[in-house]
Amino acid sequence: MPGGGRCPDCGSTELVEDSHYSQNQLVCSDCGCVVTEGVLTTTYTDEGNLREVTYSRSTGENEQVSRSQQRGLRRVRDLCRVLQLPPTFEDTAVAYYQQAYQHSGIRAARLQKKEVLVGCCVLITCRQRNWPLTMGTICTLLYADLDMFSGTYMQMVKLLGLDVPSLCLVDLVKTYCSSFKLFEASPSVPAKYVEDKEKMLSRTLQLVELADETWLVTGRHPLPVITAATFLAWQSLRPSDRLTCSLARFCKLANVDLPYPASSRLQELLAVLLRLAEQLAWLQVLKLDKRSVVAHIGDLLQHRHMLVRKAFRDGTAEPGALDTGEEELQGQGWGREDRGHGSLDLPAGKRPASPALLLPPCMLKPPKRICPTPPVSTVTGDENISDSEIEQYLRTPQEVRDFQRAQAARQAATSVPNPP
Amino acid sequence: MDQNNNPPPYAQGAMTPGIPIFSLMMLYGTGLTPQPIQNTNSLSILEEQQRQQQQQQQQQQAAVAAVQQSTSQQATQGASGQTPQLFHSQTLTTAPLPGTTPLYPSPMTPITPATPASESSGIVPQLQNIVSTVNLGCKLDLKTIALHAGNAEYNSKWFAAVIMRIREPQTTALIFSSGKMVRTGAKSEEQSRLAARKYARVVQKLGVPAKFLDFKIQNMVGSCDVKFPIRLEGFVLTHQQFSSYEPELFPGLIHRMIKPRIVLLIFVSGKVILTGAKVRAEIYEAFENIYPILKGFRKTT
Repeated sequence: MPGGGRCPDCGSTELVEDSHYSQNQLVCSDCGCVVTEGVLTTTYTDEGNLREVTYSRSTGENEQVSRSQQRGLRRVRDLCRVLQLPPTFEDTAVAYYQQAYQHSGIRAARLQKKEVLVGCCVLITCRQRNWPLTMGTICTLLYADLDMFSGTYMQMVKLLGLDVPSLCLVDLVKTYCSSFKLFEASPSVPAKYVEDKEKMLSRTLQLVELADETWLVTGRHPLPVITAATFLAWQSLRPSDRLTCSLARFCKLANVDLPYPASSRLQELLAVLLRLAEQLAWLQVLKLDKRSVVAHIGDLLQHRHMLVRKAFRDGTAEPGALDTGEEELQGQGWGREDRGHGSLDLPAGKRPASPALLLPPCMLKPPKRICPTPPVSTVTGDENISDSEIEQYLRTPQEVRDFQRAQAARQAATSVPNPP
Repeated sequence: MDQNNNPPPYAQGAMTPGIPIFSLMMLYGTGLTPQPIQNTNSLSILEEQQRQQQQQQQQQQAAVAAVQQSTSQQATQGASGQTPQLFHSQTLTTAPLPGTTPLYPSPMTPITPATPASESSGIVPQLQNIVSTVNLGCKLDLKTIALHAGNAEYNSKWFAAVIMRIREPQTTALIFSSGKMVRTGAKSEEQSRLAARKYARVVQKLGVPAKFLDFKIQNMVGSCDVKFPIRLEGFVLTHQQFSSYEPELFPGLIHRMIKPRIVLLIFVSGKVILTGAKVRAEIYEAFENIYPILKGFRKTT
């Protein structure tokens, strides 16, 4: 019973709100007079609150987990199990997937991209826990293209603002080497090719460390370097029997794919080893080449730190430094002589600047083409443009006719079916 | 040597080495034109070049060349009483041109902001590509354009624009039916503008009433070489929030600088590519920011 209203007809205060269908009306309950009535039509501002609700908002699909998201989450768990990851990894990867799914760009992406997203979540989880998993492995498992994978991966890292550490080389070497099937004899692997796992692993690690110090790893895919290093380590442990085996055959024996760049990495690594061999007194007399140096890899690795330092120095110094090198090596221990270098530590540390000798291979190769310095030109952008210059870009009427005729002929030719 | 070292008082110190690029506009307004060369005996090569340029393009290039000379003089000699060549049309005041200006170390293009090359790095990034857009202001019939212009390609099934190229300056343009044009390939802002005008002129000659509205540079790409190898793994460890280094995907490191907003691609050979700039100064600034960091990753023996 609203107060303060009087019926204009009978003056009573008994006014009732009574809607006639959808129209609001204020009616006097005594005489039935309609005091006020609402508007049948609504204004635009009124409708602001009543405007049509989109399907996505009315069905609450944003609050629920959609079917495609459920499928994605299942795929994440399956992938973790296939890779035999620890159970905690599964939960983290699932959380990342859900987080990524919140973003509309991901939600509206194609199924192919969502599939790749599964791999990205697993990869990021593994990277953050220092579990060595390469992108190549994931792409093979998902039958995905590396380009598609890289795009989705970069997008995800940017969207979620994640901090993804780099692939740990040492762990990768350990897992990758363990996958080589050379540690026990089998019908396909003769006894002379079987090798002890620990020895091979430690020598491979040393070779990879050497490659890192000598700029063979930065900027390159890590796996081919590791393949080349494993091959050299395996060969050097029993050179007499194994020198005849090629890299391709080795990978086939070990049941591992041969990555394409591995052979050029092998050549680069052998070149580095040869250069180190030039510094060792008892190897200088033997004229070593890429095959014979393999037998001496053990010695070279044992003294690698000092040899690399010497190779550095010999890059700037004259050949006379060889004599001092001999004196140094006479006694077994070489002291850390003060030649103005800092200590050489792990690959990830800072390296002394290289003289001409020790540079990444891309800097040692001669440049493919000499880029001429551009001539100093004074162009303001407001010069006059001569008509003749513009005319040269236009077709004459004759050329236009020829062109049209040629086009028509081509159309006719393509529309005629080929005779059998 | 006729060195005239009496600078008019109002001119002294008017141009200092740190002159930013927009002051060029001021100079246009003051009507600067170059002076005839006083002595040709001991001119350095750069001075010789400038002299030839001046003689060829006197009317329009005048102010530009004047800035170049005076900024190079200023930069190499400090603001030491050099007369900027003020020149009002009737009076022929002789301006001193020192005969022994040392050769400016880096290849400078005329409209460089006068940061002396002897600042921290001594290396100036070179511009490689400039992308700009312009609105021709009317709808275009792409088929007619492709038919009458000899340097155009149009394949409506693949891409809904005409691809036109001109030889001088060597650039490519995409011309859309709405009248908008995207231009790429020039090596300086002025070349970009000149090329855009040439394209517009070609379209005009085909009978379309094309205008030249809203010329805007969208992106500039520069490159340079620091000449020493860089440990990318170390770099990404210290700058993890801004850098991304994935050797499995790309051999270079991608560094996104916040201020100025530039993306740098850094490679192990020491080559650096800078992109995403709207003005040339951003590229120079970004390089000056990154150079000390890169030097830190190189220990000299």
